[in-house]
Amino acid sequence: MNFIILVLEVLLAFGLALGLASFCTWVERKGSALIQNRIGANRAGAFAETNVLLLKPFYFGWRLLGRLGVINTLLCDGLKALFKEDFVPQGASSFLHALAPFLAVVPVFMAFAVLPLAPEFNLFGYHIRPQAASFYDGGVLFLLAMGALSVYGVLLAGWVGNNKFSLLGALRAAAQMFSYELPMGVALGTVILVYGTTDLYQMVESQSGLWGIMKSPMMFVAGLIFFVSGMAQTKRVPFDLPESEAEIVAGYLTEYSGMKFLLFWLAEFAEIALVSLVMVLVFFGGWHPFPFVSLPSGSWQAALAGHFILLSKVVFFCVLQITIRWTLPRFRYDQLMNLSWKGLLEVGFVNLISAAAWKLAA
Amino acid sequence: MTALFWLLAFIVLSSGVAVVSLRSPLNSALALALNLLAVAGLFAMLQAHFLALAQVIVYAGAIVVLVLIALLLLSSKIEQHKRREDYLAVAAIVLGSLFLVVLFPLLQGALPQISANNVQVTAGTVAEIGRLLFTDYVFLFQLAGLLILTALCGAVMLARSRPGQGG
Amino acid sequence: MIPLGHYLILSGLMFVVGVVGVIVRRNSIVVLMCIELMLNAADLALVALSQAAGNLHGQVAAFFVIIVAAAGAAVGLAIIIAFFRTVRSVETSDAGELKG
Repeated sequence: MNFIILVLEVLLAFGLALGLASFCTWVERKGSALIQNRIGANRAGAFAETNVLLLKPFYFGWRLLGRLGVINTLLCDGLKALFKEDFVPQGASSFLHALAPFLAVVPVFMAFAVLPLAPEFNLFGYHIRPQAASFYDGGVLFLLAMGALSVYGVLLAGWVGNNKFSLLGALRAAAQMFSYELPMGVALGTVILVYGTTDLYQMVESQSGLWGIMKSPMMFVAGLIFFVSGMAQTKRVPFDLPESEAEIVAGYLTEYSGMKFLLFWLAEFAEIALVSLVMVLVFFGGWHPFPFVSLPSGSWQAALAGHFILLSKVVFFCVLQITIRWTLPRFRYDQLMNLSWKGLLEVGFVNLISAAAWKLAA
Repeated sequence: MTALFWLLAFIVLSSGVAVVSLRSPLNSALALALNLLAVAGLFAMLQAHFLALAQVIVYAGAIVVLVLIALLLLSSKIEQHKRREDYLAVAAIVLGSLFLVVLFPLLQGALPQISANNVQVTAGTVAEIGRLLFTDYVFLFQLAGLLILTALCGAVMLARSRPGQGG
Repeated sequence: MIPLGHYLILSGLMFVVGVVGVIVRRNSIVVLMCIELMLNAADLALVALSQAAGNLHGQVAAFFVIIVAAAGAAVGLAIIIAFFRTVRSVETSDAGELKG
């Protein structure tokens, strides 16, 4: 029975990752349209009609989804990508060409395994904690490890393109990714210091009073550093140089089309969801509705409510990241590197030392 | 448990042989990454949890990425096969086997003493290793920090392009 | 429980594979990778013995080995890059300028 519970938890984490990634694709498409003062996709499925009276509500729902652009983004784009020709550049190893999207996707989805998705509850005598994997030192350090591993997909994709644009994009992307891993690691180190544990479930539990970001000014700075580093890790604008859509074709994604391209895209949006989820769990209270207001523990209704509260906060952060993407211009490469090595890293270290001093004094 | 050990051991050895024998240096680097990940799995089996994650973050996630970037920048060619290499390979394997043949009887003598202790294993978590690092090994810890700083400055100094020379 | 000898034999084999790689390969970056392989074998032996002895001193030693390996890899790659600037190649057989 424990095994079945584990399988269900894994399916929940995986489903949440996929669902949030798809939701982010849709928000990107329609939200960017609204920000840019245009309408966006609204044709596919918007004109479906039926004469059968019983099916009319379903067709109404379908038309509504079509008008909102959901069918276009989720269904049509996916089908189009499935049927596109898979083109491997001449002289490139097709094994490496097929391996790179997997190396990009797998670490991101594995990182969802250590995230708690709802408070613990008891059901039919079983005590269930919706966290697929909780092991010694798991949690935060595992997230750092998966962030470190996600560089491989990018590097391999750039190399396998067999041209200078891809290689340049890949090298810039890799340098950007591990330059911003450092401030992220320092910010997470501050978090481990303040909470005293690496397990994310314990971190959310200890936020039933003050939320993470309110615990001390150092946590606020750490949250800010983590958010900025997270956005840089996912290669979102304003840290968009690897995929500079106007400069080097598509950077390291130049030679990818069809489903493999979609896999890279899926990895990027899943990483947006991951960064939002970790922000909410560590800094913004997780499933606690308000500071000093916590859910009654133990029942499955509270777990469900907690899960939806968590999802709404995560959706807020996803929409925030997408809005930032469509609002700010792109950084230049030296500005980007300066921000990481001369800005965020210094602030992060000073923050870490002050957090340690604060903890000793308090 | 034993099945997991044999699987990880197989991955470690086969990827190690792949690092040594694959012709393209890029494939060697990927095999090295797989090797390091499998060794991290073995660390986790040995209750060294912090070390397993540190291995993934530092070794597989930073060092091999550094090696890959250097490979991509220097665009290494596939090595040509040379006859001399075969003789070298045979000699190296013979010497290696000699090393193992000499080492293992020495180990056989010491092994029963060590594994007969059957002590309670403390898990190598962040807290425990941190405690050791800051009490018994604090001097070495500071020295290691100094070492990394020196290596950082040295690497930057060695690899930067000098004025008047192509970078 | 996996007997300690298994881990030590695995570590020894990995070490030998690394030594063979350092001797045979001519690409200096691959030689660096084989050196990392050897250091990793030492790490594995240290951690296995630490578990058998029941304390964490071996794991702290392995931690320091990882740190030193990182520093060594960084400086080694910097040297290779500096070398590449003048000779335009990473083969060890092209490094014969001081040969008598």
